[in-house]
Order: sequence, then structure tokens, then C-alpha cells
Amino acid sequence: MSNGWAEAVNENDFAAQATASDRRIQVSLTGTADLTVRTQLDQFLREVHSEAKRCSAEEVTVDVRRLEFMNSSCLKSFVWWISTVQEQADAGKYRIVFVSSPSVYWQRRSLNALACLANEIISIQA
Amino acid sequence: MCVEWMTMPESQTLSFGLQLQPQSRMVSIVRRFVEESFEKIVGDPEAVFRVSLAVHELLENAAKYAVGDKTGLSVHFESSDAGASITLTNQTTPKHIERLRACISEIQASEEPFALYQKMMRRSFGIQEESGLGLARIRAEGELNLSLEIEGNTVTIVASCSPRRRMPT
Repeated sequence: MSNGWAEAVNENDFAAQATASDRRIQVSLTGTADLTVRTQLDQFLREVHSEAKRCSAEEVTVDVRRLEFMNSSCLKSFVWWISTVQEQADAGKYRIVFVSSPSVYWQRRSLNALACLANEIISIQA
Repeated sequence: MCVEWMTMPESQTLSFGLQLQPQSRMVSIVRRFVEESFEKIVGDPEAVFRVSLAVHELLENAAKYAVGDKTGLSVHFESSDAGASITLTNQTTPKHIERLRACISEIQASEEPFALYQKMMRRSFGIQEESGLGLARIRAEGELNLSLEIEGNTVTIVASCSPRRRMPT
């Protein structure tokens, strides 16, 4: 399977898309994730999680290198997602890998804060 | 939106103030304005980012909880030693004032801002109402101190770091 199954988000200055292939899901976020797209990001992450469960995903890669900024409301969306994966039984858990850019300042600190919530399932590639 | 700039190259001080309607679509516009303007002058992008992070989170609080159509924002940056202060003033409800007071007291009392930030992240799971996460983020990620002044239904939040202490890189 290789398809763009999730409803892509393209609103204001934010875009999100996802594809799945062989129990691996690739998510790409670009632009600015702020209050104006919080609801859409919530819905998008719920779809990603549903698909990850459906295909028994081993790993979800989230490429944020071109995500200029993420506000605290959108960080809460990620807290929901990470906490939900943590609550799964072992068989339903999957790894979340953030692909980040060292030159985008919010990413080092915010992604580290998210990773500390669940070191066992989250890793960060810079 | 009304912007007033003051630049004093001799003392390497950069300040501006603006009045705006607290609308969510304005928040990122103002943050970018701060980032792009200060980066050209200050030359310390990480310090500028910390200021712009505070601007974004404070303005977003105003967009969510302010009443009335006027929010005042001022930013003061001392490029010689990276001292900075960001001040936001708006009117809000008594309920929000009490939540702000409790949240900022908790942040001020914490000796471990990052640990508190993590605790507030966990606490926000499944809760729709205000979590105070943006304020905790200013303290933990931006490494800025927070203070609150209340006068009637007008609140002023100041995020600042000491001019004597250079922002860590």
C-alpha cells in the first residue's frame, strides 16, 4: 500500500499531508501551526492515529523541517497524540520520529519537550 | 494596527509598541514582524526567537481571552546584553483573571521551569479549557520571567529577562 489516505490540510499558512507504505506512515507539516488551524491539526492527527492502528504501523515519521512555527495550542494536539499512543497496549504502540531542522529555533526546544513525555516511543532526527 | 518604533543605536536599544485588535489571524503576522525586524538589527537569531515566542503566546492569549477591541503590546530589546521585555495589556473577564493569577503564581513559584512545563503538558491531555501551557512555554523555552499586574479588569503580563544576564545560546 502506498497512498495519501489522510485528508490533507491546506489552510491559511499551514499544510499537512500523510502517506502510508508498508506499515510506515510519512507525515509532512509545513508553514505555521497556530490558533487558526488547531481544529484542523487535531482532526488530522486523529486520522493519522486511526490509520496507524488500522495498518498496525511500526513507525510514523513527522517531517517538520519546513514548519516555521508551532504554537502551544498545536503542541497540545501533539500531547494528545503522544499520550494516546502511550496508552495503547504494547501491540498497538508505534514509534514517532520527528525529522527536524537545527536552523528552526522552536524545534529543538519544543520537540525535546514532547520527546521527554514519552522517550520510549519518540525520537528526533536533526 | 498602530505601530510606534524607537531605535537608539548608541545604546543598542530597540523598542516598539503597538495597539491592535486581538484577533487570532493577527498573531502570526505580528510575530513575523518582530522576528524579521529584530533579526536585521540584533544579529542574535536565537535571542530574537525567544522574544518572538513570547510575543506569539501572549498575543494568542489575548486573542482567546481578551474582552474589548484594544490590546497593547510593547517590546524592548537591549542588543548589547540581550536583555528583553515584552509587555501585553488587555481587558479580560474576572474568571480569566483568576486563572491567570493562579497560573503565573505557579510558574513563578517553580524552581524547575522545564519540569513544570512537562507537568502542564501532561495535565493538558484531554482538557479543552485553558491550560496555561503558552505561559509555561515562555518560561521554559523562552527562559523569560513572567509577572502579572491587575487593575480592575485590565491585566498586564510582562515577560522579561535581566539585562545583566545574556540569553544562553
